[in-house]
Amino acid sequence: MTFWRAVLVIAGKDVQVELAGKTALATAVTFAALVLVIFNFARDPAEVTLATLAPSVLWVTSAFAGVVALNRSFAMERHRGAIDGLLLAPVSRSAIFGGKYLANLAFVLVVNAVILPLFILFFNVDLTPALGWVALALGLAAAGYVAIGTVLAAMTVRTRFAELMLPVLLLGFLVPPVLVGVQATTRLLAGRPPGEIVGWFRFLALYDVVFITLGFLLFPATMDE
Amino acid sequence: MTTPAAHDSLIRRGTVLTVIGLLLLALVYVQAIWFTPLERWQGQAHKILYIHAPVAYMTLSAFMLAGLASAAYLFLRDRRLDTFAEASSELGLVFGAAMLTTGPLWAKPIWGAWWQWEPRLTLTLLLVLLFVGYRALRNAIDDPDERARYSAVVGIMALAMVPFVHLSVYLFRTIHPQPVLLKPSRPEMPIEMLRTLLFSIAVFTFLYIGLVTLRYAIGRRRIAASS
Amino acid sequence: MNGPPENAPYMIAAYIVAAVIVVGYALALIRRGRRGDTDG
Repeated sequence: MTFWRAVLVIAGKDVQVELAGKTALATAVTFAALVLVIFNFARDPAEVTLATLAPSVLWVTSAFAGVVALNRSFAMERHRGAIDGLLLAPVSRSAIFGGKYLANLAFVLVVNAVILPLFILFFNVDLTPALGWVALALGLAAAGYVAIGTVLAAMTVRTRFAELMLPVLLLGFLVPPVLVGVQATTRLLAGRPPGEIVGWFRFLALYDVVFITLGFLLFPATMDE
Repeated sequence: MTTPAAHDSLIRRGTVLTVIGLLLLALVYVQAIWFTPLERWQGQAHKILYIHAPVAYMTLSAFMLAGLASAAYLFLRDRRLDTFAEASSELGLVFGAAMLTTGPLWAKPIWGAWWQWEPRLTLTLLLVLLFVGYRALRNAIDDPDERARYSAVVGIMALAMVPFVHLSVYLFRTIHPQPVLLKPSRPEMPIEMLRTLLFSIAVFTFLYIGLVTLRYAIGRRRIAASS
Repeated sequence: MNGPPENAPYMIAAYIVAAVIVVGYALALIRRGRRGDTDG
C-alpha cells in the first residue's frame, strides 16, 4: 500500500468510527459551550468588557476543547488491543501518524467550527471579514498542536493516568501558538488590517511546519520496536 | 557492564565534588553579602542578582543538556545517555525552583512587579513546565526502554519549542511597554560586582557538575541493582 | 535625592530560599548516595 493511500485509509477508519459513536465530538463540543458560558458569567461586567476578554476566551476554549478531542485519539486502540493489529498491517509507522494526525485534525477543526459561531453569539462579535482571518488563525494553530498531541497521545495511552498525562504534557506546547493567536485575534477584532498581522501568521505557519515534520520523524519511536 | 564498586566510586566522586561545591557556595554568599559594594540606586535587593542569574543559567543549561542527551539516545541507544538525561532534568527542576522563587523576590523591589513576561523568564518557566511533564511521563512508565524512547521524543519536542517560546515572547513584548520603577543596571558593571557574579556562575556550574555526577551515579546503581 | 531604598528583606528572603532549595537537595542526594538504597 502506498504511503498516501495508507494515510487516507487510516484517517478514514478513524473518522468512520467517530461518526458512528460521536462520543468524543459531543464531549468536546459540550465542554466548549460550557466554558464559553461560564467565562461570560465569571467576569464583573463593570470591570472587564466583553471585548477585552473575548480573544483570550476564544483561544482558551479552543485549546482546551482540542485537548479533550485529542484524548480520544488512541483510546480506541488501547481498549481493544487494536494497536498491535495496526502495527502488523503493511503500512509504515509514518503512515499511521499521517492517518491519525489527519483524523485528529478533522475532529479539532469540527469542534472549532462549532466554537466560533457560539463565540460570536455569546460575545456579540460583529460579523466582519476579520472573522475569516480569526478562523484561519485557529486552524493554523490547531494544525501544529494536533501534530504534537498525536505523538503525545500515542505515548500517554500506555501510561497509568492517560487522560491526565496528555493535558499535562501538551499544555506547555500550547503556550506559544495560543499566545500568538490571542494577539492576532485582538488586533483583528479591533479592526486592524490583516497586513499588520502577517508576522503572527508566519509564526503559526512555521510552528506547523516544524512540528508536523517532527511528528512524522518521531512518531515511529513511540511504537514498539 | 560496570561493577558495583565502580558505581560506588562514582558516587563518592560526585559526593566530594558536591561538598566542595557547597563550601564554595558559602564563600559566594559571604562575598556577595559582605564584600561586594551596593548598587547606587537599587539597594540591597540588587544583590539577589548574584544568586538569581547563575541559577537561571544553570536551569536553562541543565534542561538543554537533558534534552540533548535524551535526543542522542534515540540515535545511539546507549542507556547511559538516558540516565544522564534523568539526572540533568531533575537538577533543572531544582535550579528552576530556586530561579522561580528568587526571580519574583528580585523583580518586585527592582521592577515594581512580581513577574515580567520577558523572554528569559518566560522561556525558563515554559521549560520548567515542559520538563515537569517530562518527569511525570518518566514516572508513569515501567519499561526502561520504553521510558528512554518516550523521554527522547518529549525531550526533542521540548528543545524544538525553545526558539518558538523566545519568538512569541519577543513578538509580544515589542507591543507592550514594560513597567519600570528602577532600571536595572546593565551596561557597565563595576569590576567588584562583575567579579562576584562571575565567581557565583563558576561555583554554580561546579555545583551542577558535582550534583549531576552524583545523581547520574545513583541512577546507574539503581539500574544495576534491578537487573 | 533620597538614598537607595531599604529592601534588604527581599535579599535576605531570596538568599535563604535559594540556599534551602539547593543545599537541601544536595544533602538529600548525598544521603541517598551513601545509604545505598536502590529505589529512585
